[in-house]
Amino acid sequence: MIQFFQDLGATSLFFVRVVRTFFATQGNFQPILGQVAFVSLRSLSTVLFAGLFVGAILVLQLDLILAKYDAELFLGGLNTSTVIREVGPLIISFLLAGKIGAFTAAELGTMRVTEQIDAIECLGTNPIQYLVVPRLFGIMISSLILLFIGLLVSIGGAMAVAWFACGITIPEFTSSIPKFVSIGTFVAALFKALVYGTIVATVSCHRGFIATGGARGVGHAVTQASIFTNLYILFANFGLSHMLTLIDTLTEGLMGGSP
Amino acid sequence: MSIRFEQVSKSFGTKHVLKQVSFKVERGEILFILGRSGMGKSVTLKHIIGLLKPDSGGVFIDGQNVSQLDDIQLAKVRQKCGMVFQHPALLDSLTVFENIAFGLRTAQYIQLIGHPLSEDDIRRRVCEKLADVNLKTEILDCLPSDLSYGMQKRVSLARTLAPEPEYLLFDEPTTGLDPITTNAINDLIHDLSRKLQVTSLVVSHDMACALKIADRVLVLDQGKILAHADRSTLKLSEEPLIQDFLAETLALIPPAELDVASIGATAP
Ligand SMILES: Nc1ncnc2c1ncn2[C@@H]1O[C@H](COP(=O)(O)OP(=O)(O)OP(=O)(O)O)[C@@H](O)[C@H]1O
Ligand SMILES: [Mg+2]
Repeated sequence: MIQFFQDLGATSLFFVRVVRTFFATQGNFQPILGQVAFVSLRSLSTVLFAGLFVGAILVLQLDLILAKYDAELFLGGLNTSTVIREVGPLIISFLLAGKIGAFTAAELGTMRVTEQIDAIECLGTNPIQYLVVPRLFGIMISSLILLFIGLLVSIGGAMAVAWFACGITIPEFTSSIPKFVSIGTFVAALFKALVYGTIVATVSCHRGFIATGGARGVGHAVTQASIFTNLYILFANFGLSHMLTLIDTLTEGLMGGSP
Repeated sequence: MSIRFEQVSKSFGTKHVLKQVSFKVERGEILFILGRSGMGKSVTLKHIIGLLKPDSGGVFIDGQNVSQLDDIQLAKVRQKCGMVFQHPALLDSLTVFENIAFGLRTAQYIQLIGHPLSEDDIRRRVCEKLADVNLKTEILDCLPSDLSYGMQKRVSLARTLAPEPEYLLFDEPTTGLDPITTNAINDLIHDLSRKLQVTSLVVSHDMACALKIADRVLVLDQGKILAHADRSTLKLSEEPLIQDFLAETLALIPPAELDVASIGATAP
Protein backbone atom coordinates (compact mmCIF):
# COMPACT_ATOMS: atom_id res chain seq x y z
CA MET A 1 0.00 0.00 0.00
CA ILE A 2 2.78 2.39 0.95
CA GLN A 3 4.57 1.21 -2.17
CA PHE A 4 1.51 2.12 -4.20
CA PHE A 5 1.51 5.70 -2.98
CA GLN A 6 5.25 5.96 -3.42
CA ASP A 7 4.87 4.89 -7.05
CA LEU A 8 2.02 7.30 -7.57
CA GLY A 9 4.06 10.08 -6.00
CA ALA A 10 7.13 9.36 -8.09
CA THR A 11 5.09 9.29 -11.27
CA SER A 12 3.36 12.56 -10.41
CA LEU A 13 6.68 14.20 -9.65
CA PHE A 14 7.99 12.97 -12.97
CA PHE A 15 5.03 14.60 -14.71
CA VAL A 16 5.70 17.89 -12.94
CA ARG A 17 9.35 17.66 -13.94
CA VAL A 18 8.48 17.11 -17.59
CA VAL A 19 6.02 20.01 -17.65
CA ARG A 20 8.55 22.27 -15.96
CA THR A 21 11.20 21.28 -18.48
CA PHE A 22 8.77 22.03 -21.28
CA PHE A 23 8.16 25.55 -20.04
CA ALA A 24 11.75 26.16 -19.02
CA THR A 25 12.85 25.47 -22.58
CA GLN A 26 10.13 27.68 -24.07
CA GLY A 27 8.50 24.69 -25.67
CA ASN A 28 9.61 23.53 -29.05
CA PHE A 29 6.52 22.25 -30.83
CA GLN A 30 8.09 20.64 -33.87
CA PRO A 31 9.05 17.34 -32.20
CA ILE A 32 5.73 17.21 -30.37
CA LEU A 33 3.83 17.47 -33.63
CA GLY A 34 6.02 14.75 -35.05
CA GLN A 35 5.07 12.49 -32.17
CA VAL A 36 1.38 13.38 -32.50
CA ALA A 37 1.48 12.30 -36.12
CA PHE A 38 3.41 9.15 -35.27
CA VAL A 39 1.15 8.10 -32.40
CA SER A 40 -2.09 8.96 -34.18
CA LEU A 41 -1.18 7.16 -37.37
CA ARG A 42 0.07 4.10 -35.54
CA SER A 43 -3.11 3.80 -33.50
CA LEU A 44 -5.55 4.84 -36.18
CA SER A 45 -6.38 1.40 -37.53
CA THR A 46 -6.94 -0.04 -34.07
CA VAL A 47 -9.09 2.89 -33.06
CA LEU A 48 -11.20 2.67 -36.20
CA PHE A 49 -11.69 -1.04 -35.75
CA ALA A 50 -12.45 -0.88 -32.04
CA GLY A 51 -14.66 2.19 -32.40
CA LEU A 52 -16.78 0.55 -35.04
CA PHE A 53 -17.32 -2.63 -33.07
CA VAL A 54 -17.87 -0.99 -29.72
CA GLY A 55 -20.59 1.18 -31.23
CA ALA A 56 -22.13 -1.81 -32.93
CA ILE A 57 -22.06 -4.11 -29.90
CA LEU A 58 -23.39 -1.46 -27.58
CA VAL A 59 -26.30 -0.67 -29.84
CA LEU A 60 -27.33 -4.32 -29.98
CA GLN A 61 -27.17 -4.63 -26.21
CA LEU A 62 -29.09 -1.47 -25.59
CA ASP A 63 -31.70 -2.44 -28.16
CA LEU A 64 -32.27 -5.70 -26.36
CA ILE A 65 -33.07 -3.88 -23.15
CA LEU A 66 -34.95 -0.95 -24.62
CA ALA A 67 -37.12 -3.21 -26.75
CA LYS A 68 -38.47 -4.78 -23.56
CA TYR A 69 -39.76 -1.43 -22.37
CA ASP A 70 -40.85 -0.33 -25.81
CA ALA A 71 -38.41 2.55 -25.55
CA GLU A 72 -36.42 1.98 -28.74
CA LEU A 73 -36.94 5.61 -29.60
CA PHE A 74 -34.25 6.46 -27.10
CA LEU A 75 -31.74 4.08 -28.63
CA GLY A 76 -29.80 6.73 -30.52
CA GLY A 77 -29.49 9.10 -27.63
CA LEU A 78 -28.67 6.48 -25.06
CA ASN A 79 -26.10 4.81 -27.25
CA THR A 80 -24.41 8.05 -28.21
CA SER A 81 -24.37 9.30 -24.66
CA THR A 82 -22.88 6.09 -23.31
CA VAL A 83 -20.23 5.99 -25.98
CA ILE A 84 -19.23 9.59 -25.46
CA ARG A 85 -19.37 9.58 -21.69
CA GLU A 86 -17.89 6.31 -20.65
CA VAL A 87 -16.98 3.80 -23.27
CA GLY A 88 -15.20 6.04 -25.74
CA PRO A 89 -12.60 7.62 -23.50
CA LEU A 90 -12.00 4.37 -21.65
CA ILE A 91 -11.56 2.21 -24.74
CA ILE A 92 -9.32 4.75 -26.42
CA SER A 93 -7.10 4.99 -23.40
CA PHE A 94 -6.82 1.22 -23.06
CA LEU A 95 -5.93 0.95 -26.72
CA LEU A 96 -3.36 3.70 -26.32
CA ALA A 97 -1.93 2.01 -23.26
CA GLY A 98 -1.60 -1.30 -25.06
CA LYS A 99 -0.21 0.03 -28.28
CA ILE A 100 1.67 3.25 -27.60
CA GLY A 101 2.22 3.01 -23.85
CA ALA A 102 4.00 -0.31 -24.09
CA PHE A 103 5.96 0.90 -27.12
CA THR A 104 7.10 4.05 -25.32
CA ALA A 105 8.05 2.26 -22.11
CA ALA A 106 10.05 -0.28 -24.09
CA GLU A 107 11.71 2.35 -26.26
CA LEU A 108 12.74 4.63 -23.41
CA GLY A 109 13.66 1.64 -21.25
CA THR A 110 15.96 0.30 -23.93
CA MET A 111 17.52 3.72 -24.37
CA ARG A 112 18.08 3.86 -20.62
CA VAL A 113 19.68 0.45 -20.20
CA THR A 114 21.90 0.85 -23.27
CA GLU A 115 23.13 4.16 -21.83
CA GLN A 116 21.70 6.16 -24.74
CA ILE A 117 20.00 8.46 -22.26
CA ASP A 118 23.25 8.97 -20.36
CA ALA A 119 24.98 9.67 -23.65
CA ILE A 120 22.42 12.32 -24.59
CA GLU A 121 22.93 13.92 -21.22
CA CYS A 122 26.70 13.92 -21.64
CA LEU A 123 26.44 15.52 -25.06
CA GLY A 124 24.82 18.54 -23.44
CA THR A 125 21.15 17.85 -24.07
CA ASN A 126 18.47 17.36 -21.48
CA PRO A 127 17.01 13.90 -22.16
CA ILE A 128 13.68 14.91 -20.62
CA GLN A 129 13.42 17.73 -23.10
CA TYR A 130 14.74 15.75 -26.03
CA LEU A 131 13.02 12.41 -25.47
CA VAL A 132 10.24 12.68 -22.92
CA VAL A 133 8.57 16.02 -23.66
CA PRO A 134 7.65 15.15 -27.28
CA ARG A 135 6.46 11.67 -26.35
CA LEU A 136 4.45 12.71 -23.34
CA PHE A 137 2.68 15.64 -24.96
CA GLY A 138 2.41 13.73 -28.20
CA ILE A 139 0.45 10.96 -26.51
CA MET A 140 -1.73 13.43 -24.62
CA ILE A 141 -2.71 15.35 -27.73
CA SER A 142 -3.15 12.19 -29.76
CA SER A 143 -5.56 10.82 -27.20
CA LEU A 144 -7.88 13.75 -27.96
CA ILE A 145 -7.58 13.33 -31.71
CA LEU A 146 -8.11 9.60 -31.48
CA LEU A 147 -11.08 10.05 -29.17
CA PHE A 148 -12.70 12.34 -31.69
CA ILE A 149 -12.14 9.90 -34.54
CA GLY A 150 -13.18 6.96 -32.39
CA LEU A 151 -16.43 8.62 -31.38
CA LEU A 152 -17.35 9.50 -34.94
CA VAL A 153 -16.71 5.98 -36.16
CA SER A 154 -18.45 4.33 -33.29
CA ILE A 155 -21.57 6.48 -33.56
CA GLY A 156 -21.54 5.89 -37.30
CA GLY A 157 -21.22 2.17 -36.71
CA ALA A 158 -24.03 2.26 -34.19
CA MET A 159 -26.30 4.04 -36.65
CA ALA A 160 -25.62 1.49 -39.32
CA VAL A 161 -26.25 -1.45 -37.03
CA ALA A 162 -29.37 0.19 -35.60
CA TRP A 163 -30.68 0.56 -39.08
CA PHE A 164 -29.89 -2.93 -40.35
CA ALA A 165 -30.40 -4.99 -37.22
CA CYS A 166 -32.94 -3.09 -35.16
CA GLY A 167 -34.94 -1.36 -37.85
CA ILE A 168 -34.32 2.12 -36.55
CA THR A 169 -33.77 4.64 -39.29
CA ILE A 170 -31.05 7.22 -39.14
CA PRO A 171 -33.41 10.15 -38.52
CA GLU A 172 -35.03 8.21 -35.70
CA PHE A 173 -31.62 7.48 -34.29
CA THR A 174 -30.37 11.03 -34.44
CA SER A 175 -33.57 12.66 -33.25
CA SER A 176 -33.12 11.36 -29.72
CA ILE A 177 -29.47 12.33 -29.49
CA PRO A 178 -30.01 15.92 -28.33
CA LYS A 179 -32.11 14.64 -25.43
CA PHE A 180 -29.13 12.85 -23.99
CA VAL A 181 -26.12 14.64 -25.34
CA SER A 182 -25.07 18.24 -25.02
CA ILE A 183 -21.88 20.18 -25.52
CA GLY A 184 -21.19 19.48 -21.86
CA THR A 185 -21.19 15.75 -22.50
CA PHE A 186 -18.65 16.24 -25.19
CA VAL A 187 -16.44 18.46 -23.08
CA ALA A 188 -16.63 15.90 -20.30
CA ALA A 189 -15.50 13.19 -22.70
CA LEU A 190 -12.60 15.28 -23.93
CA PHE A 191 -11.61 16.03 -20.37
CA LYS A 192 -11.68 12.34 -19.49
CA ALA A 193 -9.68 11.41 -22.56
CA LEU A 194 -7.12 14.04 -21.67
CA VAL A 195 -6.78 12.73 -18.13
CA TYR A 196 -6.47 9.13 -19.28
CA GLY A 197 -4.07 10.12 -22.03
CA THR A 198 -1.95 11.91 -19.46
CA ILE A 199 -1.94 8.79 -17.30
CA VAL A 200 -0.88 6.56 -20.20
CA ALA A 201 1.80 9.01 -21.29
CA THR A 202 3.23 9.75 -17.87
CA VAL A 203 3.28 6.21 -16.54
CA SER A 204 4.85 4.70 -19.64
CA CYS A 205 7.45 7.45 -20.06
CA HIS A 206 8.30 7.32 -16.37
CA ARG A 207 8.63 3.53 -16.19
CA GLY A 208 10.78 3.48 -19.30
CA PHE A 209 12.90 6.39 -18.15
CA ILE A 210 13.80 4.80 -14.81
CA ALA A 211 14.33 1.25 -16.11
CA THR A 212 17.44 -0.52 -14.86
CA GLY A 213 19.20 -3.78 -15.55
CA GLY A 214 19.31 -4.92 -19.15
CA ALA A 215 16.63 -6.65 -21.16
CA ARG A 216 14.91 -7.94 -18.04
CA GLY A 217 14.71 -4.38 -16.78
CA VAL A 218 13.01 -3.27 -19.98
CA GLY A 219 10.53 -6.13 -19.74
CA HIS A 220 9.82 -5.21 -16.15
CA ALA A 221 9.31 -1.56 -17.09
CA VAL A 222 6.80 -2.48 -19.80
CA THR A 223 4.84 -4.78 -17.50
CA GLN A 224 4.80 -2.25 -14.70
CA ALA A 225 3.75 0.47 -17.11
CA SER A 226 0.77 -1.49 -18.35
CA ILE A 227 -0.33 -2.64 -14.90
CA PHE A 228 -0.14 0.80 -13.38
CA THR A 229 -1.67 2.57 -16.36
CA ASN A 230 -4.73 0.34 -16.20
CA LEU A 231 -4.97 0.67 -12.45
CA TYR A 232 -4.72 4.44 -12.47
CA ILE A 233 -7.18 4.76 -15.35
CA LEU A 234 -9.76 2.69 -13.50
CA PHE A 235 -9.36 4.79 -10.37
CA ALA A 236 -9.48 7.99 -12.37
CA ASN A 237 -12.54 6.76 -14.24
CA PHE A 238 -14.36 6.11 -11.01
CA GLY A 239 -13.42 9.48 -9.59
CA LEU A 240 -14.10 11.44 -12.78
CA SER A 241 -17.46 9.85 -13.52
CA HIS A 242 -18.64 10.78 -10.07
CA MET A 243 -17.25 14.26 -10.34
CA LEU A 244 -18.59 14.93 -13.82
CA THR A 245 -22.02 13.54 -12.98
CA LEU A 246 -22.14 15.84 -10.03
CA ILE A 247 -21.23 18.83 -12.15
CA ASP A 248 -23.75 17.71 -14.74
CA THR A 249 -26.61 17.47 -12.30
CA LEU A 250 -25.72 20.79 -10.79
CA THR A 251 -25.65 22.63 -14.10
CA GLU A 252 -28.10 20.88 -16.34
CA GLY A 253 -30.78 19.45 -14.15
CA LEU A 254 -32.57 16.24 -14.88
CA MET A 255 -31.60 15.20 -18.38
CA GLY A 256 -27.88 15.45 -17.72
CA GLY A 257 -27.83 12.47 -15.32
CA SER A 258 -25.42 9.68 -15.99
CA PRO A 259 -26.93 6.79 -17.94
CA MET B 1 42.88 22.24 -14.85
CA SER B 2 42.58 18.84 -13.30
CA ILE B 3 40.30 16.08 -12.18
CA ARG B 4 40.55 15.14 -8.53
CA PHE B 5 38.91 12.37 -6.52
CA GLU B 6 38.90 12.97 -2.78
CA GLN B 7 38.01 10.10 -0.48
CA VAL B 8 35.21 8.98 -2.79
CA SER B 9 33.10 6.11 -1.51
CA LYS B 10 30.21 4.55 -3.35
CA SER B 11 28.04 1.55 -2.57
CA PHE B 12 25.11 -0.02 -4.34
CA GLY B 13 23.02 -1.62 -1.61
CA THR B 14 25.45 -3.66 0.41
CA LYS B 15 28.05 -3.77 -2.34
CA HIS B 16 30.88 -1.34 -1.63
CA VAL B 17 32.26 -0.50 -5.03
CA LEU B 18 34.57 2.39 -4.20
CA LYS B 19 36.18 2.79 -0.78
CA GLN B 20 37.71 6.19 -0.13
CA VAL B 21 39.35 6.50 -3.48
CA SER B 22 41.60 9.52 -4.02
CA PHE B 23 43.66 10.42 -7.05
CA LYS B 24 44.38 13.30 -9.34
CA VAL B 25 44.86 13.75 -13.08
CA GLU B 26 46.68 16.79 -14.41
CA ARG B 27 46.05 18.62 -17.65
CA GLY B 28 47.29 16.83 -20.74
CA GLU B 29 47.94 13.64 -18.85
CA ILE B 30 46.83 10.19 -19.96
CA LEU B 31 45.70 8.09 -17.05
CA PHE B 32 44.90 4.44 -17.59
CA ILE B 33 42.56 2.81 -15.11
CA LEU B 34 43.06 -0.94 -14.97
CA GLY B 35 41.36 -3.55 -12.89
CA ARG B 36 39.45 -6.77 -13.04
CA SER B 37 35.90 -6.82 -14.30
CA GLY B 38 33.32 -5.44 -11.87
CA MET B 39 35.84 -3.51 -9.80
CA GLY B 40 34.22 -0.13 -10.32
CA LYS B 41 36.07 1.30 -13.30
CA SER B 42 32.95 2.40 -15.14
CA VAL B 43 31.49 3.63 -11.87
CA THR B 44 34.59 5.79 -11.37
CA LEU B 45 34.18 7.43 -14.77
CA LYS B 46 30.47 8.05 -14.26
CA HIS B 47 31.24 9.99 -11.10
CA ILE B 48 33.26 12.51 -13.07
CA ILE B 49 30.34 13.62 -15.21
CA GLY B 50 27.85 13.43 -12.39
CA LEU B 51 25.90 10.44 -13.68
CA LEU B 52 26.57 8.91 -10.28
CA LYS B 53 26.99 10.79 -7.04
CA PRO B 54 29.44 9.69 -4.34
CA ASP B 55 28.04 8.55 -0.98
CA SER B 56 30.85 10.49 0.64
CA GLY B 57 33.86 12.42 -0.55
CA GLY B 58 33.95 14.58 -3.63
CA VAL B 59 34.92 14.64 -7.27
CA PHE B 60 36.42 17.91 -8.44
CA ILE B 61 36.83 19.19 -11.98
CA ASP B 62 38.83 22.39 -12.23
CA GLY B 63 38.19 22.86 -8.52
CA GLN B 64 34.39 22.49 -8.76
CA ASN B 65 32.71 19.75 -6.78
CA VAL B 66 30.65 17.93 -9.40
CA SER B 67 28.02 16.57 -7.02
CA GLN B 68 27.21 20.04 -5.68
CA LEU B 69 26.57 21.76 -8.98
CA ASP B 70 23.13 22.82 -10.17
CA ASP B 71 21.84 21.63 -13.52
CA ILE B 72 23.24 24.53 -15.51
CA GLN B 73 26.71 24.31 -14.01
CA LEU B 74 26.69 20.55 -14.41
CA ALA B 75 25.81 20.95 -18.07
CA LYS B 76 28.83 23.27 -18.44
CA VAL B 77 31.11 20.71 -16.85
CA ARG B 78 29.72 17.98 -19.09
CA GLN B 79 30.39 20.18 -22.08
CA LYS B 80 34.07 20.10 -21.13
CA CYS B 81 34.05 16.33 -20.79
CA GLY B 82 33.52 13.82 -23.52
CA MET B 83 32.54 10.37 -22.41
CA VAL B 84 32.87 7.27 -24.53
CA PHE B 85 30.60 4.69 -22.97
CA GLN B 86 31.55 1.06 -22.62
CA HIS B 87 28.64 0.17 -24.89
CA PRO B 88 28.33 2.23 -28.06
CA ALA B 89 25.14 3.94 -26.79
CA LEU B 90 24.37 5.40 -30.21
CA LEU B 91 20.90 6.83 -30.70
CA ASP B 92 19.38 4.08 -32.77
CA SER B 93 16.78 6.22 -34.49
CA LEU B 94 19.41 8.58 -35.94
CA THR B 95 21.87 7.94 -38.75
CA VAL B 96 25.59 7.74 -38.15
CA PHE B 97 25.94 11.30 -39.42
CA GLU B 98 23.24 12.63 -37.11
CA ASN B 99 24.75 10.74 -34.20
CA ILE B 100 28.18 12.26 -34.68
CA ALA B 101 26.72 15.70 -35.35
CA PHE B 102 24.49 15.49 -32.26
CA GLY B 103 26.92 17.22 -29.93
CA LEU B 104 27.55 19.98 -32.48
CA ARG B 105 23.91 20.99 -32.69
CA THR B 106 23.12 21.32 -28.98
CA ALA B 107 22.27 24.71 -27.51
CA GLN B 108 25.15 24.16 -25.06
CA TYR B 109 27.72 23.83 -27.78
CA ILE B 110 26.38 26.76 -29.79
CA GLN B 111 26.59 28.88 -26.68
CA LEU B 112 30.13 27.73 -26.04
CA ILE B 113 31.50 28.66 -29.45
CA GLY B 114 29.23 31.69 -29.77
CA HIS B 115 27.49 30.83 -33.05
CA PRO B 116 25.87 27.81 -34.68
CA LEU B 117 28.08 25.84 -37.04
CA SER B 118 27.02 25.88 -40.67
CA GLU B 119 25.90 22.60 -42.20
CA ASP B 120 29.11 22.54 -44.25
CA ASP B 121 31.24 22.94 -41.15
CA ILE B 122 29.30 20.21 -39.41
CA ARG B 123 29.75 17.84 -42.34
CA ARG B 124 33.44 18.62 -42.52
CA ARG B 125 33.90 18.03 -38.80
CA VAL B 126 31.93 14.78 -38.90
CA CYS B 127 34.01 13.45 -41.79
CA GLU B 128 37.22 14.46 -40.08
CA LYS B 129 36.31 12.61 -36.88
CA LEU B 130 35.15 9.63 -38.85
CA ALA B 131 38.54 9.46 -40.54
CA ASP B 132 40.23 9.77 -37.13
CA VAL B 133 38.61 6.53 -36.04
CA ASN B 134 39.42 4.73 -39.29
CA LEU B 135 35.93 4.68 -40.76
CA LYS B 136 34.81 5.51 -44.28
CA THR B 137 32.28 8.18 -45.12
CA GLU B 138 30.13 5.58 -46.88
CA ILE B 139 28.52 4.64 -43.60
CA LEU B 140 27.32 8.16 -42.80
CA ASP B 141 23.74 7.42 -43.85
CA CYS B 142 23.54 4.02 -42.19
CA LEU B 143 21.60 3.44 -39.03
CA PRO B 144 23.66 2.18 -36.09
CA SER B 145 21.88 -1.18 -36.24
CA ASP B 146 23.37 -1.75 -39.71
CA LEU B 147 26.92 -1.58 -38.36
CA SER B 148 29.06 -4.15 -36.64
CA TYR B 149 29.81 -3.74 -32.94
CA GLY B 150 33.33 -2.54 -33.56
CA MET B 151 32.11 0.05 -36.06
CA GLN B 152 29.42 1.25 -33.67
CA LYS B 153 32.07 1.65 -31.05
CA ARG B 154 34.17 3.80 -33.31
CA VAL B 155 31.19 5.92 -34.33
CA SER B 156 30.52 6.44 -30.66
CA LEU B 157 34.13 7.52 -30.26
CA ALA B 158 33.79 9.96 -33.16
CA ARG B 159 30.61 11.35 -31.63
CA THR B 160 32.42 12.09 -28.41
CA LEU B 161 35.39 13.65 -30.19
CA ALA B 162 33.29 15.90 -32.44
CA PRO B 163 32.71 18.79 -30.00
CA GLU B 164 36.42 18.61 -29.09
CA PRO B 165 36.15 18.42 -25.31
CA GLU B 166 39.03 19.21 -22.95
CA TYR B 167 38.64 16.03 -20.95
CA LEU B 168 38.09 12.68 -22.54
CA LEU B 169 36.79 9.76 -20.55
CA PHE B 170 37.10 6.47 -22.38
CA ASP B 171 35.40 3.37 -21.07
CA GLU B 172 37.21 0.51 -22.77
CA PRO B 173 37.55 2.28 -26.14
CA THR B 174 39.33 -0.60 -27.82
CA THR B 175 37.73 -3.68 -26.30
CA GLY B 176 36.38 -5.82 -29.13
CA LEU B 177 38.34 -4.06 -31.88
CA ASP B 178 40.97 -5.58 -34.12
CA PRO B 179 44.63 -4.93 -33.26
CA ILE B 180 45.16 -2.48 -36.12
CA THR B 181 42.24 -0.30 -35.18
CA THR B 182 43.22 -0.61 -31.54
CA ASN B 183 46.62 0.79 -32.38
CA ALA B 184 45.10 3.61 -34.40
CA ILE B 185 42.85 4.60 -31.54
CA ASN B 186 45.65 4.47 -29.02
CA ASP B 187 47.71 6.71 -31.29
CA LEU B 188 44.75 9.04 -31.53
CA ILE B 189 44.45 9.30 -27.75
CA HIS B 190 48.17 9.90 -27.55
CA ASP B 191 48.07 12.64 -30.21
CA LEU B 192 45.12 14.40 -28.62
CA SER B 193 46.92 14.64 -25.35
CA ARG B 194 50.24 15.71 -26.81
CA LYS B 195 49.03 18.16 -29.44
CA LEU B 196 45.87 19.58 -27.92
CA GLN B 197 46.64 19.09 -24.25
CA VAL B 198 43.52 16.97 -23.86
CA THR B 199 43.34 15.14 -20.57
CA SER B 200 42.39 11.50 -21.01
CA LEU B 201 41.17 8.90 -18.59
CA VAL B 202 41.15 5.51 -20.22
CA VAL B 203 39.51 2.51 -18.64
CA SER B 204 41.05 -0.58 -20.11
CA HIS B 205 42.03 -4.18 -19.58
CA ASP B 206 44.91 -3.74 -21.89
CA MET B 207 48.17 -3.46 -19.99
CA ALA B 208 50.13 -3.42 -23.23
CA CYS B 209 48.42 -0.22 -24.38
CA ALA B 210 48.80 1.25 -20.94
CA LEU B 211 52.52 0.61 -21.04
CA LYS B 212 52.72 2.23 -24.44
CA ILE B 213 50.85 5.49 -24.03
CA ALA B 214 49.87 6.06 -20.39
CA ASP B 215 51.57 8.74 -18.36
CA ARG B 216 50.26 7.13 -15.25
CA VAL B 217 48.41 3.94 -14.49
CA LEU B 218 45.89 3.43 -11.75
CA VAL B 219 44.99 -0.08 -10.69
CA LEU B 220 41.67 -0.55 -8.91
CA ASP B 221 40.91 -3.62 -6.89
CA GLN B 222 38.28 -4.35 -4.24
CA GLY B 223 37.27 -0.72 -4.18
CA LYS B 224 40.75 0.53 -3.40
CA ILE B 225 43.63 1.87 -5.39
CA LEU B 226 46.26 -0.82 -5.63
CA ALA B 227 48.72 1.32 -7.49
CA HIS B 228 48.91 4.79 -8.97
CA ALA B 229 52.22 5.10 -10.69
CA ASP B 230 53.97 5.97 -13.89
CA ARG B 231 54.93 3.21 -16.28
CA SER B 232 58.36 2.35 -15.07
CA THR B 233 57.39 2.37 -11.41
CA LEU B 234 54.44 0.14 -12.17
CA LYS B 235 56.66 -2.44 -13.74
CA LEU B 236 58.59 -2.71 -10.49
CA SER B 237 55.49 -3.22 -8.38
CA GLU B 238 55.41 -6.24 -6.13
CA GLU B 239 51.60 -6.52 -5.98
CA PRO B 240 50.55 -9.98 -7.18
CA LEU B 241 47.63 -8.62 -9.25
CA ILE B 242 49.85 -6.18 -11.09
CA GLN B 243 52.41 -8.92 -11.57
CA ASP B 244 49.67 -11.03 -13.13
CA PHE B 245 48.61 -8.23 -15.43
CA LEU B 246 52.21 -7.65 -16.48
CA ALA B 247 52.80 -11.33 -16.99
CA GLU B 248 49.79 -11.59 -19.28
CA THR B 249 51.07 -8.67 -21.30
CA LEU B 250 54.57 -9.99 -21.57
CA ALA B 251 53.31 -13.33 -22.75
CA LEU B 252 51.56 -11.64 -25.66
CA ILE B 253 54.02 -8.98 -26.70
CA PRO B 254 57.52 -9.55 -27.96
CA PRO B 255 59.94 -8.12 -25.43
CA ALA B 256 61.50 -5.90 -28.06
CA GLU B 257 58.44 -3.68 -28.01
CA LEU B 258 58.71 -3.08 -24.31
CA ASP B 259 61.36 -1.50 -22.21
CA VAL B 260 63.23 -4.74 -21.59
CA ALA B 261 65.74 -3.47 -19.11
CA SER B 262 63.21 -2.45 -16.48
CA ILE B 263 60.92 -5.44 -16.73
CA GLY B 264 63.47 -8.14 -17.25
CA ALA B 265 63.31 -8.92 -13.55
CA THR B 266 59.55 -9.53 -13.56
CA ALA B 267 59.25 -11.54 -16.73
CA PRO B 268 58.12 -15.11 -16.22
N1 LIG C 1 23.67 1.52 -11.43
C1 LIG C 1 24.11 0.48 -10.68
N2 LIG C 1 23.30 -0.08 -9.77
C2 LIG C 1 23.74 -1.11 -9.01
N3 LIG C 1 24.95 -1.64 -9.08
C3 LIG C 1 25.81 -1.12 -9.97
C4 LIG C 1 25.43 -0.03 -10.81
N4 LIG C 1 26.48 0.28 -11.60
C5 LIG C 1 27.46 -0.57 -11.25
N5 LIG C 1 27.07 -1.41 -10.28
C6 LIG C 1 27.90 -2.45 -9.64
O1 LIG C 1 29.14 -1.87 -9.36
C7 LIG C 1 30.18 -2.79 -9.60
C8 LIG C 1 31.23 -2.15 -10.49
O2 LIG C 1 30.67 -1.93 -11.77
P1 LIG C 1 31.49 -1.31 -12.97
O3 LIG C 1 30.54 -1.23 -14.11
O4 LIG C 1 32.14 -0.06 -12.54
O5 LIG C 1 32.58 -2.42 -13.25
P2 LIG C 1 33.79 -2.34 -14.25
O6 LIG C 1 35.02 -2.24 -13.44
O7 LIG C 1 33.55 -1.26 -15.24
O8 LIG C 1 33.72 -3.76 -14.93
P3 LIG C 1 33.84 -4.14 -16.49
O9 LIG C 1 35.29 -4.25 -16.78
O10 LIG C 1 33.17 -5.47 -16.57
O11 LIG C 1 33.16 -3.10 -17.27
C9 LIG C 1 29.55 -4.00 -10.23
O12 LIG C 1 29.55 -5.02 -9.26
C10 LIG C 1 28.16 -3.59 -10.57
O13 LIG C 1 27.28 -4.64 -10.30
MG1 LIG D 1 32.92 -1.15 -17.12
